[in-house]
Amino acid sequence: MDPAEAEFLAEKELVTVIPNFSLDRIYLIGGDLGPFNPGLPVEVPLWLAVNLKQRQKCRLIPPEWMDAEKLEEIRDQERKEDTFTPMPSPYYMELTKLLLNYASDSIPKADEIRTLVKDTWDTRIAKLRLSADSFVRQQEAHAKLDNLTLMEINTTGTFLTQALDHMYKLRTNLQPAESAQSQDF
Amino acid sequence: MPSTQKPMRYGHTEGHTDVCFDDTGSCIVTCGSDGDVRIWENLDDDDPKSINVGEKAYSFALKNGRLVTAVSNNTVQIHTFPEGAPDGILTRFTTNANHVVFNRDGTKIAAGSSDFMVKVVEVTDSSQQKTFRGHDAPVLSLSFDPQDVFLTSASCDGSVRVWKISDQTCVTSWPLLQKCNDVINAKSICRLAWQPKSGKFLIFFIDTLSIVIWSPCGQYVAAGSVDGCIAVWNVDTQECMERMKHEKSYTICGLAWHPKGGQIAYTDTEGNLGLLENVCNKDGKKSSGKVSSAVAKDYNDLFDEDDDFLNTDLIEPRSSPKVVSNEEEEEDDDLMLASGHPRHRGAIIEDDENSLDTALMKVNSNLEKDDDNDQDGSIPVLPISTTQRPFYDGPVPTPQQKPFQSGSTPSHLTHRFMVWNSIGIIRCYNDEQDNAIDVEFHDTSIHHATHLPNSLNHTMADLSSEAILLACESTEELASKLHCVHFSSWDSNKEWTVDMPKDEDIEAVCLGQGWAACATSAMLTRVFTIGGVQKEIFSFPGPVVSMAGHGEQLLVVYHRGTGFDGDQCLGVQLIELGKKKRQVLHGDPLPLTRKSYLMWVGFSAEGTPCYVDSKGIVKMLNRGLGNTWIPVCDTREYCKGKSDHYWVIGIHENPQQLRCIPCKGARFPPTLPRPAVAILSFKLPYCQITTEKGQMEEQFWRSVLFHNHLDYLSKNGYEYDENAKNEAAKEQQELLMKLFALSCKLEREFRCVELADFMTQNAVNLAIKYASRSRKLILAQRLSEMAVEKATEMAAPEEDDEEEEEDFRNHLNAGYSSSTTEWSQPRVRNLYEQDMEDSKEADAVEEVEEMPEMQKFSKKLLGQVGKFTPIFVSANQKDSTAHSANILDNMSKFSKNTPTPNSRAVNKQKSPVIKPLIPKPKSKQALAATFFQPRPPPAVDKTVEEKEEKAENTLPEIQAAATENKRPKTGFQMWLEENRESILADNPDLEEADIIKEGMSRFRVLSSDERMIWTEKAKGGAASNSAEAKKRKRPADAKNEGKEKREEKSKEDSSLPKKRKPLDPSINVRLSAFAFKQS
Repeated sequence: MDPAEAEFLAEKELVTVIPNFSLDRIYLIGGDLGPFNPGLPVEVPLWLAVNLKQRQKCRLIPPEWMDAEKLEEIRDQERKEDTFTPMPSPYYMELTKLLLNYASDSIPKADEIRTLVKDTWDTRIAKLRLSADSFVRQQEAHAKLDNLTLMEINTTGTFLTQALDHMYKLRTNLQPAESAQSQDF
Repeated sequence: MPSTQKPMRYGHTEGHTDVCFDDTGSCIVTCGSDGDVRIWENLDDDDPKSINVGEKAYSFALKNGRLVTAVSNNTVQIHTFPEGAPDGILTRFTTNANHVVFNRDGTKIAAGSSDFMVKVVEVTDSSQQKTFRGHDAPVLSLSFDPQDVFLTSASCDGSVRVWKISDQTCVTSWPLLQKCNDVINAKSICRLAWQPKSGKFLIFFIDTLSIVIWSPCGQYVAAGSVDGCIAVWNVDTQECMERMKHEKSYTICGLAWHPKGGQIAYTDTEGNLGLLENVCNKDGKKSSGKVSSAVAKDYNDLFDEDDDFLNTDLIEPRSSPKVVSNEEEEEDDDLMLASGHPRHRGAIIEDDENSLDTALMKVNSNLEKDDDNDQDGSIPVLPISTTQRPFYDGPVPTPQQKPFQSGSTPSHLTHRFMVWNSIGIIRCYNDEQDNAIDVEFHDTSIHHATHLPNSLNHTMADLSSEAILLACESTEELASKLHCVHFSSWDSNKEWTVDMPKDEDIEAVCLGQGWAACATSAMLTRVFTIGGVQKEIFSFPGPVVSMAGHGEQLLVVYHRGTGFDGDQCLGVQLIELGKKKRQVLHGDPLPLTRKSYLMWVGFSAEGTPCYVDSKGIVKMLNRGLGNTWIPVCDTREYCKGKSDHYWVIGIHENPQQLRCIPCKGARFPPTLPRPAVAILSFKLPYCQITTEKGQMEEQFWRSVLFHNHLDYLSKNGYEYDENAKNEAAKEQQELLMKLFALSCKLEREFRCVELADFMTQNAVNLAIKYASRSRKLILAQRLSEMAVEKATEMAAPEEDDEEEEEDFRNHLNAGYSSSTTEWSQPRVRNLYEQDMEDSKEADAVEEVEEMPEMQKFSKKLLGQVGKFTPIFVSANQKDSTAHSANILDNMSKFSKNTPTPNSRAVNKQKSPVIKPLIPKPKSKQALAATFFQPRPPPAVDKTVEEKEEKAENTLPEIQAAATENKRPKTGFQMWLEENRESILADNPDLEEADIIKEGMSRFRVLSSDERMIWTEKAKGGAASNSAEAKKRKRPADAKNEGKEKREEKSKEDSSLPKKRKPLDPSINVRLSAFAFKQS
C-alpha cells in the first residue's frame, strides 16, 4: 500500500460542510448523502467536501480536533510519552493535509495547525524509527505498536519489511554458505 | 435654588478616573486609565493640557504645584504642576497603588497599594518613609486627619483602620466593609473623608456609596454612588441639599469640591467628566429647618431607601473608646460612622447584559431610579425635594422593549449581524476604516455575495430571495430612508430609495414576496411593492417591536400597552396582503413567557408565524385551534450552561427543524469566528413525556401541529407536497393505533374509544379488529357503533347533496372549500385536486378548522368505508336494521377484507376474488340508502344506469371493473367466500393470492356433489340477479355525469351484498361460532 491509497481511504472520512446550494438526497453506492440545504451543515465524505470546496460550493467546518489549542495539547502529550498516544482521528494527517490544502480559508489558524500536526507527525515518526531500530537491533521476532495510524504504518511498513527480508536473506545466506561448506566437506 | 448639572463630556478612555481642582480652583484636573492627567480650564475646554504620567493612572493628588500620581508601573511619582515635568519617584510598591492623598499642608503623601501596604512619604524627601502593615487585602483608600496625627485606611479585607502616623500603630479597626479579594471586585472604592479643619468627623459609607468628600467649609458632605447618584447634605442640619443622577448611571469614581465651594466635579468609570454648579448656594438653602427626629433615619432617607440604594444605618458612636484613649482632642472627637447592610440589588432583568437588551436595560434602570425618586419625594423628612410626587408601591411598569429586527445582533456592536435568516446573512462592519455591509447568500444560486458601502449608516435590514432591504434612522440633516436593492429585477435599475416624512423614523422593516414593508415611529406600517411603488398604509395601535414577512403574510408585533413587573405587553397583527386582503390576527395579545421579552419573530419556512422570547421558548401559531399560540420548543433545555443560549435563525416544519446558533455564555453570536448552525428538534410541553403514553401523545399532536401548514397552503391555493400530507396522515394514524393498543393493554377501554374518535375510518376498523382479537368485545361493539355514527355523519351531508344539489354546493363553498372539489368532481380522480377559485371564495378561517376533518373523512371514504359498509346494506335487505348490525358482521367483513392489503393487485390480475374494487363513494351511497329509506332501493337505478353507461362507455376502466364484478360468481368463488375465514384461521399470515391457492386445493378435495351444490348456488344467484335487473329497468333520472359515476360505483357495491345474500345465514352461523370461541 502506498500513501496515495491511504489517502484514498481517508477520503471516506466524514466532515461537515455548509453547502451554498440546494440539492435533494443523493443516493450513492457508499450510502446516501444529503439533503443539501443552503446554510445548513451536512456531513459528507472528505472527497466530496474537497470537490465541493474546489467548486466553491460549500464552506468547510473543520473537525473538532482541528483546533490549535487541542493540537498543541496532543503534540505535548505525544512528546511527553514514550509510546504512541491515540490520535484524534485515524486519518489525522491526511485530513489535515487535504483540508488545509483546499480549505485553509475556512480553518482558523491554518498555518499554526499545519505546524502542530507536522510536529506531532515528526515526533511519531521518530518514535517509530526508534522502535524499528531497537526491534532490529534486539532481533525480536515480533513487536506490538498501538495507536499507529494507517499512514504512519505505510511510511515505514514497506521499507521495514523489505529491510527485514533482506536481513533475513543475508543471514540465511551466511548459514547456507556454512552449510554449503559443510556439504563440501 | 437647585444645582445645575452640566452635560457630561468625554474625559478619558473607559476605566477608573479621578478628579480634583487645583489649589485655586481655576482648573479641573483629571486622570484616567489612559495614563494621562488632563488639565481642563473648564468643562467646555476642548483642548485640555495632557500630561502623560504612565500607562495607567490610578489615582493622583495635587497640592502646592506638585502632582502626585499612582501609576501602573507600581510607583508613586511626582510631576510639577501645571508644567507636567517629571520630578522623581516618591515610592514604589510591589503592585500598583490604589490611592494617594496629601496631608493638609502638602508635606506628606500617603499611598495605599494592592500589596496590602500603606506608606506615608515626605514629599520633599522620599527617603522619609513610613510603612503601615496590617491590612490583609489591597488597600482601597486613605485619608489624613486634618491634624496630621492619624491616617485612616480602608481595605478590601473589610476593615477600616485608623493609624497613628507617628508610631505606625493601628489605633483601631472596624470590620465594616464587605470583604473581597481584589480592588476590581470591591463593591465600592470606599473613599474616606475627615472633616476639614476640625477633624471632628470621619465619614465613609459602606454600601454602594463609594465616594464621600467634605466641602472646603466643612459644612457639607457630598457623596457619589456606584449607580451614578450624587447627593449633598448639610452636616449640621442633616438635610439633603442636592440630589442628582448621572445621566447614564455609570459609577461615580471621582468627586471633587471646588476650593471655594459651589462646584463639584465628578468623573465616572467610563472616563466621563461632569460638573455640578451652584451646589449649596446660599439662596438655595431654604430655612425649612425640618430636622429629622432620628439622625439615622435622616441619612437613611437621603438616599433612596429601597432596594438598590444603600440602606445606611448610621451609627454615631459619641466617643469611640479606642480612639478617644489615643486622642488629645478626644472630647470633641466624634466619629461618625455610616454603616450599612449590604443589600443585593434585585435585578429587574435578570438576564445577562451582553444581549440585545443593553438598551433596554439602561432604560430599565433609569426608570427604576425615577421610581425610586418617586418614593423619596414622598418622605416628609426631605424638604428640599424639588418635586413632590405621590408615593407608589404597586407593580412597577416594565420599560417597553426597543424595536428590533429578527436575527440581528445589537446595533452598538462594531461588527454585527443585521440579519441572519434562511436566505442569507447581512453583516455590518462599522469600525474606523470602514463602514460597510456585507451580504452573503446561503444559496449562491440566488445571488452572489455583495458588499455595499454604508454611508447612510443603515441599522436595519432584511433579506429575501428577491431583494435586500435596508433602512436607517433619521439624522439631523437627513430623513429616515428605506433603501431597497432589488437584485432580482430584470431591468437595469436595481435600487430604489424612499425618504420618510419628516419626524418619522423607520423602526422595523421586512420583506415578503413581491413587497416590502416598514413600520415607523408614527405607528404606521407602509407597504411598498418590491419595485418601489407605495401601496397600503395602515396604523397599528402602539410602538412597533418587530415585523416579519413571508409570502403574502405580514406580521407586526407592537406594544399594546405597558407591562408590569418585567412583563411586556405585546400585540400581534397578521395580515394577508395577497389578492384577497384580510386580517387573520386582529391585534391579539402575544403570550410571552413571564418576565421575558421578544427575541425573534418570523415565519417558519412553510409560512406559519412563530416567535421566540428571551426565556428561549419558541411558540408557533396553531391554525388548527383558532389561531392560538403553542409552545413548540424550549431552547434552554438544550443549553449546557446557565448563560448559554441559542440564537434562533429559522424554523422549518417539514422536516421539523429549529435552526439556531449555539452561543456560549452569550445571547447572540459574534461575527467572527463564523458561527455554525445547529439544529434542535421540537418538543411540545405535554405532561409525562417520559412515559410511553406521553411520548406518543406528544408525537401525535406534534405531527398534527406541524402539518397544519399543509391545510393552510392547500386552502390558499399554494402548491404543496401531497406525499408529505399522506405520510403525515399515516404517521398520525400509526401513533393513534399504538396509543390505542397501549390503552387496550392497560384495560382503559373508555380511553380507547376516545382515541378511536381521532382515527380515520380505516384505523377505526383496525382498532375494532384489534379490540376483538384481544377479546374486548364491549370495546369492539362500542367502536363499531362509533364507526356507524361516523359514517352516518358523513352520509348526512351527502344525502343533502343528492337532494338539493345547488344548496349543497353553496354550503360547501361557504364552509368546506377544500372538499368542494371532492364532491363536485369525478370521484375516480384525485380527491385533492385543487379548485382554486372555489377555495378562494371560501371563508378561509372556518376552513382551517373544518378541513382536516373533511379530508380525513374523504380519505376514509376513498379507501375503507366501502369495505365494511356493505354489510349494512345486506343487513338492511335482510330486514334487520342497519344500526343493529351485529358487531360480528363487522368483524367478519374485516377478516375478509382488511387483512388483504394487496387485494387491488389481485383484482388487477383478474383473480376471481370478489372485492369492492373502488369502494369509496358508492359505499357512502349505500349507507345513505340504508339510513334514508325514502330513496328508491339503490340497487335498482344503479343497474339501470350502469347499463346506460356501458353504452356511453365514458369510463372504460370502471366499467371493466364493474363488469368484472358483475360476472356471475362461480361456485368456487362462493365457496371461497364462505371458507376464507377458516383458511385464514388456519394460516393467518397468508396473502390474498395464497388464500386463493389454498382455497383451490381445498375446493378440489371436496366431493363432486358438494361442488355441484356450490355451482348450482352460484347459477341461481346469478340468474336471480339478472332477473331483478331486468324487472327493475326503468327510465333513469337525468343526472349529471359526476353523479352517474358515483352511482355506478355504488351499484357495484350494492350488487355485491346481493350476491352474498344467500350466504349470509351460514356466515352468521360461523361468525357466531367464532364469537363463541372468542368469549
